Amino acid sequence: MIEWIVQHILAKYNYWIAIVLMLIGFYAMIAKENLLKKLIGLSIFQTAIFLFYVSLSDVGTGWGLRFGTAPIVWEHGIHEGYMYVNPLPHVLMLTGIVVAAATLAVALALVVRLYEEYGTIEEEEIMEMEMDIERGT
Amino acid sequence: MSAEKKYGRDVVIETIARLMIPFIQLYGLYVMMGTEGAGGGFQGGTVIAASFVLYVTAFGITRGRKNFPESWNVAFKCLGLYLYAGIGLLCIIFSLGVAEYLNYAAVPLSNIIGHADTRALMIADVVEIGIGMTVMAAFVSLFFDLAWKEESVEEEEGGAEE
Amino acid sequence: MIVPIDLALLFFLVLIAIAAITVKDLLAAIALLGAYSFVMACVWVEMNSVDVGFTEAAIGAGATTALMVAALSRIARWEKG
Repeated sequence: MIEWIVQHILAKYNYWIAIVLMLIGFYAMIAKENLLKKLIGLSIFQTAIFLFYVSLSDVGTGWGLRFGTAPIVWEHGIHEGYMYVNPLPHVLMLTGIVVAAATLAVALALVVRLYEEYGTIEEEEIMEMEMDIERGT
Repeated sequence: MSAEKKYGRDVVIETIARLMIPFIQLYGLYVMMGTEGAGGGFQGGTVIAASFVLYVTAFGITRGRKNFPESWNVAFKCLGLYLYAGIGLLCIIFSLGVAEYLNYAAVPLSNIIGHADTRALMIADVVEIGIGMTVMAAFVSLFFDLAWKEESVEEEEGGAEE
Repeated sequence: MIVPIDLALLFFLVLIAIAAITVKDLLAAIALLGAYSFVMACVWVEMNSVDVGFTEAAIGAGATTALMVAALSRIARWEKG
């Protein structure tokens, strides 16, 4: 039983921490009023997903297994049968990082525009102003 | 204007920035050309864009805008795109019959820059430079657009006599 | 992956993430997000994915932080409540 717990739950702590980070980001996206805080939560959420994928690609922990090396072509390494980590998730996550930066830039431009329009970036205050405008007309 | 005097020019920051910026740009070029190692056009372009951000941080946004105007940004963006697409088109033209986009080995430049493997790597470097130029211009443009304020124009007129 | 280094870095990662969404000063939150990105880049280099770690150090810790500070120069610095 304890062996099962160690092998299937504790040894995969990377995934648990990825989920913890993901939920921290999700909490910030939902519960925080400030729009910039929401964007910080979005960043943390995205990075947590990247951590999950990179953890998938990793082989060999310090507990008994052999270490995987970085996936860089190395003349002797090919012949001697070195183990290397799977480079496919890395390439996917490179694209993901690029998309994350672009998303953040667009969102920041929208936040700046909202501040120019309403004078605040607190979600509640913007909603109240919208309600006031609707009631006024 | 008073805020500019209070947080005005700092000799230490200006000197350090003047020292650091060429090395940062050289490192960005090194990263950009690394087809055989870690890095690539996107990362190198971002590192070079970071050097412009450092320039703006040290010398003020109006001076940065004067030295790196928006028209240059547009020119760099289009030039990078044309480099990338042009080499892709060149490969389509030279790989007759199969039309392989970005098949570098098909370009017949063997007399000039060596055999097929080296040639592919060198043409890949040109493609990486195209990507890097576009990314650099895009990031610098984003940074300027986000940091630009309307009152910066008056500050420029006030500080132009220096 | 070296387990003690990995555990220590991940512990700091969770700590910095909680701090980044808790502080009221948005400039401090952005600085903490840059630190978070840098620790994340360290985690990835330590997990042998050098390319992703390098990209994260250049983009997450460098360009994103610069963009957010640039945007913050035009909006209010303090979070309300």
